Amino acid sequence: MAATEKESAKTAFEPLLQFEMEMGTFLSDWQHCDQLSTFMARMISHNRADPVRHSNFLSSALNELLEMSFRSGIPDGRLGCTVYRDGPTERVKLSFPCPSTQRQFYREAVSRTNNGSAYARYLDAIWTELAPSREVILLDLAINFDAEIRLEERPSPSITLVVDLPLEGIVN
Amino acid sequence: MSTVTLSERYRAEFDPNSQEFSLAGVIRPHSVDEIAATVTQLKQAIDAARGVLYINVKRLAQMNNTAFHAFARAFLDACRTRSDIRLVVVTSSVVGWTERMFRHLSNIEPQITVEVYDSKFYPGQTFVEDTSFIPILRTQTKMTWRHERTILPRHGMRAGIHMADICCGIGDFAVLVRKEFQPARIVALDHSKASLAYARDVATNFGITDIEYTFGDASEMLLEDNQFDLVTCRHSLQIFNQPDVLLKELYRICKPGGRVYITNEKNSHCLGEPRAQSIQWTYNEVAKLFAHFEMDVELGPKSRRYLADAGFEDIRVESFMVTNLDGDPQDFADIITAWENVYAGEMAVKRGDPPEFIERFRQGFRDHIFAALHPKGYAGWPIWAASGRKPL
Ligand SMILES: C[S@@+](CC[C@H](N)C(=O)[O-])C[C@H]1O[C@@H](n2cnc3c(N)ncnc32)[C@H](O)[C@@H]1O
Repeated sequence: MAATEKESAKTAFEPLLQFEMEMGTFLSDWQHCDQLSTFMARMISHNRADPVRHSNFLSSALNELLEMSFRSGIPDGRLGCTVYRDGPTERVKLSFPCPSTQRQFYREAVSRTNNGSAYARYLDAIWTELAPSREVILLDLAINFDAEIRLEERPSPSITLVVDLPLEGIVN
Repeated sequence: MSTVTLSERYRAEFDPNSQEFSLAGVIRPHSVDEIAATVTQLKQAIDAARGVLYINVKRLAQMNNTAFHAFARAFLDACRTRSDIRLVVVTSSVVGWTERMFRHLSNIEPQITVEVYDSKFYPGQTFVEDTSFIPILRTQTKMTWRHERTILPRHGMRAGIHMADICCGIGDFAVLVRKEFQPARIVALDHSKASLAYARDVATNFGITDIEYTFGDASEMLLEDNQFDLVTCRHSLQIFNQPDVLLKELYRICKPGGRVYITNEKNSHCLGEPRAQSIQWTYNEVAKLFAHFEMDVELGPKSRRYLADAGFEDIRVESFMVTNLDGDPQDFADIITAWENVYAGEMAVKRGDPPEFIERFRQGFRDHIFAALHPKGYAGWPIWAASGRKPL
């Protein structure tokens, strides 16, 4: 898959912030998504050229990712999120429990974010779907935030999404 | 409960007179049901609309995909059933992602268009965002600082506070405040990209990394409510055609118990000796010239009323006079030269004034400079500093 090849090329990412939480605790309140994304974005963006607007963008993206793991709804295991930076790009690594039956779904959804039909699929989803699917959320990140998304496969009951967000360029 | 929290965090309003439906704040529902009432309200607005319905999302700070899809659905359905109306989504250049997201809707439905609300906030905008203003601001801040550094502590400035300087211009004030008073956080906002770029350069050169310079519209800020102990806004209420709108925003971001500090001029009271009459004539004309562009540079003494009307308490007002005796008289003269260039050289020309008028207008500035540099001369520029406390 195209996305996996890029993995080895990028090594300069420095970790900025990391948190872990029991899924049970996370799932106890929907507001956690909003609160965590706002807080993390604010911390991470403080030394960007325009911290207020950078944090606004980043919070949007983080919130969608957190909401996605919230909606996966599996109370066992842990939610983990690490944010790294390399120049103008923030990398978000988000791990959350995912039954093996759903892995294939994520694999396909992620690979569709970087093929030519992504935009058509995105428009079609806005046009036809009542509520956004997880796939649309990934497409939203790829299209509206220029995100590059891939999946880190590990032999564990969790799944890890790696999302590179070149926000500094978009914001300014 | 999350629904309660959610509805507290955003506002939806329909103004039938302007046919404008506006969404503001943070909309991140878990399910569509939580915003069902708002979606219904939107549908009713669409039903009531004739011609064009404006969807104002200028102050929509956050919206998740769940909400976006629900609103998008309502827009797209409306286009199908009402071929007679157009929907214009008005976004702000400040909240970048809203423009990106709503743009897609116009790719689906040509009845939907997206407009980025940007400059043209008020008639005088182009003058004050112009880079020719930069040298003026520089010298002005240097001169006013001598006074303000002693005034500010009476208006809530102290170490460790969280403060915001709105309409910060080239950011010198923030740098000076940071050094003198060591606040814990400084956000400095302006709508001139040129001034902000300049501010960031200056900060970088001084190795300052903790001032948060941000691009924003002071009348529709992205900053959250009740955040700052002190909100400063210097020489800027007077350049908005609706100072009350701006003041409302300053009030909003100020913490209850915190203060909003404003400085403004009364240009017609600039004075000098010798050649007092010519000087006075010109500055009376300055006030009229600004009024022509809907800016009130006579606002200084009205600060008390503005603050009171905006709901502030414990209002404090004081005035000070920047003069040619504050340090180097040449600095004073430089400010006047810069004024002459912009006011006579640009604004009067834009108003269409005849050359004879412009010449006489210029003469007053030259006489003010003459007074400033005269060994026995005196030249002054009065400023009103005022603040009010946001009630607890
Ligand atoms: C007269 S200057 C004062 C600047 C600074 N406070 C000082 O005293 O040097 C007015 C400033 O307001 C800024 N401004 C104008 N309209 C604005 C808006 N809608 N939002 C934010 N800033 C704005 C201009 O770019 C300009 O820097």
